[in-house]
Amino acid sequence: MSIPTLQGLQTALSGLLAQQQAIDVAGHNIANANTEGYSRERAVMRANRPLVIPAMSMLTGKGGQLGTGVNVETYTRIRNEYLDAQFRTQNSALSGSAAEAEELQQAQAAFNEPSSSGIASQLSKFWAAWSSLANSPTSEAAKQGVVAAGEQLASTLKQVSAQLETISTQANQQYASLTGPAGEVQNYANQIAQLNGQIKLAEEAGQKPNDMLDRRDLLLDKLSSLAQITVNQQPNGTDTVSFGDATKPLIEGTTVNWPQTLTAAAGGQLGALLGLTGPTGALASYQTTLDAVAENLAGSVNELHTSTPFFSGSTAATLAVAVTPAEVQTSSTEAPGGNDVAQAIAALRGGSADQGYSALIERVGDDVKTAQDEQANDQTTVTAIGNQRMSVSGVSLDEEMTNLISFQRAYQASARTMTAMDSMLDTLILHTGTVGL
Amino acid sequence: MSNRIATAMVSSSTLNDINSALSALQRSSNELSSGRTILQPSDNPYGASHAIDLQSQLDGLGAYATNVQDAISWENAAGGAMTNMSSVVQRVRELLVQASNGTFSQSSLNSIATEVAQLTETIKQDANTQYAGQYVFAGTLTTTRPYQPGAEDEYQGNVASISRAIGPGASVTINTDISSLLGNGSGAKDGKLLDTLRTISEHLLSGTPEGRAALNTTDLKAIDASLETLTQLQATAGSMTNQLQAASSRIEDLETSIAKTLSNTQDADIAKTTIAFSNQQAAYEAALRAGASIVQESLLNFLR
Repeated sequence: MSIPTLQGLQTALSGLLAQQQAIDVAGHNIANANTEGYSRERAVMRANRPLVIPAMSMLTGKGGQLGTGVNVETYTRIRNEYLDAQFRTQNSALSGSAAEAEELQQAQAAFNEPSSSGIASQLSKFWAAWSSLANSPTSEAAKQGVVAAGEQLASTLKQVSAQLETISTQANQQYASLTGPAGEVQNYANQIAQLNGQIKLAEEAGQKPNDMLDRRDLLLDKLSSLAQITVNQQPNGTDTVSFGDATKPLIEGTTVNWPQTLTAAAGGQLGALLGLTGPTGALASYQTTLDAVAENLAGSVNELHTSTPFFSGSTAATLAVAVTPAEVQTSSTEAPGGNDVAQAIAALRGGSADQGYSALIERVGDDVKTAQDEQANDQTTVTAIGNQRMSVSGVSLDEEMTNLISFQRAYQASARTMTAMDSMLDTLILHTGTVGL
Repeated sequence: MSNRIATAMVSSSTLNDINSALSALQRSSNELSSGRTILQPSDNPYGASHAIDLQSQLDGLGAYATNVQDAISWENAAGGAMTNMSSVVQRVRELLVQASNGTFSQSSLNSIATEVAQLTETIKQDANTQYAGQYVFAGTLTTTRPYQPGAEDEYQGNVASISRAIGPGASVTINTDISSLLGNGSGAKDGKLLDTLRTISEHLLSGTPEGRAALNTTDLKAIDASLETLTQLQATAGSMTNQLQAASSRIEDLETSIAKTLSNTQDADIAKTTIAFSNQQAAYEAALRAGASIVQESLLNFLR
């Protein structure tokens, strides 16, 4: 068997087609250089099956294997799934600590410390008012001052308590809206399940659905910010996704199992929200401590103000001044100049109510700082892993330009090969055996 | 970071760097404009809580300082009244010595008696001295006049003490029990100053030899005893004033030192922060400049 006459043309053609496809892929990469979640793709080229030239004929000499050009075997996306898993774990941690830092910062802002209008300063003004009253126990203005300072203090406590309550309520609402029927969990899960179905079909048809895989990976990244996820790839190309500490997988093939119950151990934003607003969470504990400060304040003042309780209520939200200026007690005796009660109450400054409050502020500050530090650490890790992932999968325009030039040149060369073949065939067909014609 | 650099990485990491440079710059600028290093408890949790405690202590010291000033003013009012009383009693004693030398006619004695009666009223007026609307010699019945003008000499106040807190757990009694000097008058026959003065008047007016004789003996002795008591009361009040002044300067020292600690805890070190601010400004500008030139570069610039 000899070499088919037109074989060279076929070989050149395969080169033209393959280089063209490679240029198309480079174009696709460049077009998606800024697409979120896109992985760069490569046209994987392979030399065609060679033509076996047997060593029988005079024409072919010793025989051998003649190459027949190239074909594009597949378009592969360049991606490291191990980095994906790492990224998602860290991303859950980051969005958890970010949510925590955000909520705690709101709580910290509610306390409005250090300032001249926070509870600490109101407490100080309250004690100072009693001290003034001790100096002029018969002064109506001083009694008015004590009642006014008490009311201001009670209303500030009430305000802070209400703000803490609001932050807690809003966090609960946020959780409810994220996990609700129109929430992000349901939305992402539905899209992933749908992509699972499409990817399965494409893989059954022997295609590599790169762009669908990218989209699914991007959705999984986003899902990982809501709670910790584990992705198990099935042989049929679908992903089974377990979500937080839900008992059943969130996504199995094309099925979505939602709603399910999560706890604070779910990780991510949802876990952080549950942890903060739970009965043992930071917000509830701030509220409890603030109530204890209010109760302590009311208890210690009322104990000394024996005529009638000065404060009513025993929580930050219910504390109120229960006396009129005329009912303010300055002395344990009837004598108008007595000031022992006023002095004793003024001496409560720096006592357990003040100490309880400043300890609370220290704890709030500590919690916020810890959450912020954690967020900064997680951010650094996520950025580092994100960069590693980008380093593998991201589009480099310089690289694509270089590839573009080499594919373009190869295309031009294949075309030149074809021209050479053509001129050979021209010689063979039109100019051979024409002697004497 | 590995060797391969994707184009998007350059812009995103440049942006990150610019952002972190800007946020450091903003932090310093906040510290400079507010003058504080602790803007929120999370900036320094222990420092924030410490600052709250220190501020409350400082406010408390301010209240003690007010108390001390108030007590000193009270003591000044009471002290002035007692000085007046002392000169009045001295005058009575002089009159007594004059009257008892036996050369005066009864009409002269009568006019001395009139003066003694006026001086008695003066002493009662001094006993009714007020400070900030409160009778300083009425015990805790500060709205009641201790002695009614006129013939009635009974003490209307009580003997309870009034105190001012001048430090944590420290208080001083600021009032003087004037009834221990003045007593309840002739009705009570207690031998105190008012009783003595009324008796002297009686003796002056009596015109009897026994009356005259008593002026030189029992009356003079009683006046001397009252002067003694008054001097003691003045000494006690004086030492109280000294104690208050000592407390005042101690409170000022404490205020200074706590204010300094508070400032060290929460105030920005302006020199240090200004230098940090300039450094961060330079870093931010460098980041912007680098970003502007790196992000623009590409192979595309060099291809035909």
